[in-house]
Amino acid sequence: MTARMVCVLAVAAVWFPSASVGQSPAIPRAADGRPDLSGIWQAATAANWNLLPHAAEKDVPAGLGVVEGNEIPYQPWAAAQQRENFAKRATADPESKCFLPGVPRIMYMPFPFQIFQTPGHIAMAFEYVHAVRRIFMNTPHPEGPIEWWMGDSRGRWEGDTLVVDVVHFTNQTWFDRTGHFHSEGLHVVERYTPLGPNHIQYEATIEDPKVFTRPWTISFPLYRRMEKGLRVLDYECYAFGHERTWHRPPE
Amino acid sequence: MRASLRLLLPVLAVASATTVHLDARQETPAAPYVPPRTPDGQPDIQGIYNPVGTFYNIEDLEYQSLYQNFKPNPSVRGRSLVVDPPDGRIPYQAWAAEKRKPIDQLHLDPTPEWVDPNAHCWPQGVPRHLNNREFEIFQPPGHVVIFNLAHHTYRVIPVDNSPHIPANIKLWVGDSRGRWEGNTLVVEVSNNNDQTWFDVMASFHSDEMRVTERFTPVGPDRIEYRAVITDPKVYTRPWTFAIHFNRNKDPGAEVWEEACVEANQKNIDLLQRPGR
Repeated sequence: MTARMVCVLAVAAVWFPSASVGQSPAIPRAADGRPDLSGIWQAATAANWNLLPHAAEKDVPAGLGVVEGNEIPYQPWAAAQQRENFAKRATADPESKCFLPGVPRIMYMPFPFQIFQTPGHIAMAFEYVHAVRRIFMNTPHPEGPIEWWMGDSRGRWEGDTLVVDVVHFTNQTWFDRTGHFHSEGLHVVERYTPLGPNHIQYEATIEDPKVFTRPWTISFPLYRRMEKGLRVLDYECYAFGHERTWHRPPE
Repeated sequence: MRASLRLLLPVLAVASATTVHLDARQETPAAPYVPPRTPDGQPDIQGIYNPVGTFYNIEDLEYQSLYQNFKPNPSVRGRSLVVDPPDGRIPYQAWAAEKRKPIDQLHLDPTPEWVDPNAHCWPQGVPRHLNNREFEIFQPPGHVVIFNLAHHTYRVIPVDNSPHIPANIKLWVGDSRGRWEGNTLVVEVSNNNDQTWFDVMASFHSDEMRVTERFTPVGPDRIEYRAVITDPKVYTRPWTFAIHFNRNKDPGAEVWEEACVEANQKNIDLLQRPGR
């Protein structure tokens, strides 16, 4: 540590006397004392193009990857399936059909989303295709089998971390544009840990015994969108290009 | 059966006497319903509601039953959800009335240009997204948020006096700003696109449409809803659409996911069938 850094830290300690070394800046709190996650957020990763480390291609930003250990532990058949998905990705990716992207993929789509929070219910409203996640707190999953595109999310607080358990998925969604996939047996446990007023560390443990040999984990920060007057707008992917509708009669 | 009916007769007589008595009492108006408050002080109208309306033909309820059994119901012919103008008709300008005329013949089996945008699974727009399936009103601090069952859409209504977004941005469910006038939620909706209809009958609007909505809770389980629709490009005057919402009182009810686009291949196949 240089003398200059020590000096900066000393000044910071004077300005923020409640923050001791190693603690995050104060996080906003809701009336019930829980961290207040409400606001407009967005991930800034290239994970939607590829969860794993990858170089840039035309229209694909490079990325260091978001998977711990840089490996997705596929069973042998599933590794072959992923390669097949990759070959057919232009048309086989559910995103190319504008379908709901599932969880965790919706969390790193390159669009903003808004979190609304009350003690019993946290809701996420996404710009991408008006997708919605309803996270009901401290309640059990409904009895399955149920196959929902966005799964069924149930939340609880562990200290300042929001833990969300997600089950009841379809086998129709992918994790990214390179064909990383799962079965309907997918089970995702997400952890949202506020790092300060404008950052949430997001972590998701992905378990699917039909497809993977062990659980694996992704993580990245969610950033608060800071633009003045920002609103979540819309991106109705599936409505673009319908030239045969009433308002755009055929030429 | 006959015996028990006879036993019931005195009870019915008492009941009807009570009714008369109650009717007399209603001459003094009951105190208006005052809803509880949310932690941030908004009147609390949260819950899951079902609209009582029709979205086959908002000007005539006769055809709503086509959704259930493909048979029109003549007993409600001519009943309209348009409460102003008094004739119950949308006050189209002449060109606009002419433009939508073919739907009168085509609605039962429309050609692709005349398919209800709702059948494409597109967001239904304002006010139609409140006139279809059940929806939930959620009131986190500073907001009213509506979650629709149909098409998994939502609408965010900030209650914060903030300005609307730039006018050239058009959105499927518009840009809403709310305020409370007493216990009535008043919402101004601008920035609507021109891609939604009010019903199956090509009742349309332009992207100049503005909607002023009033959500008035009249009891713990009922909200009266009125929308004044203004669009000088399409109508000769503003008009008013009115329905009400009844609370879903099932304990523990939740609004779950309804995928639409994801399961719409049947509709596409129908449109592209041989001979079409």
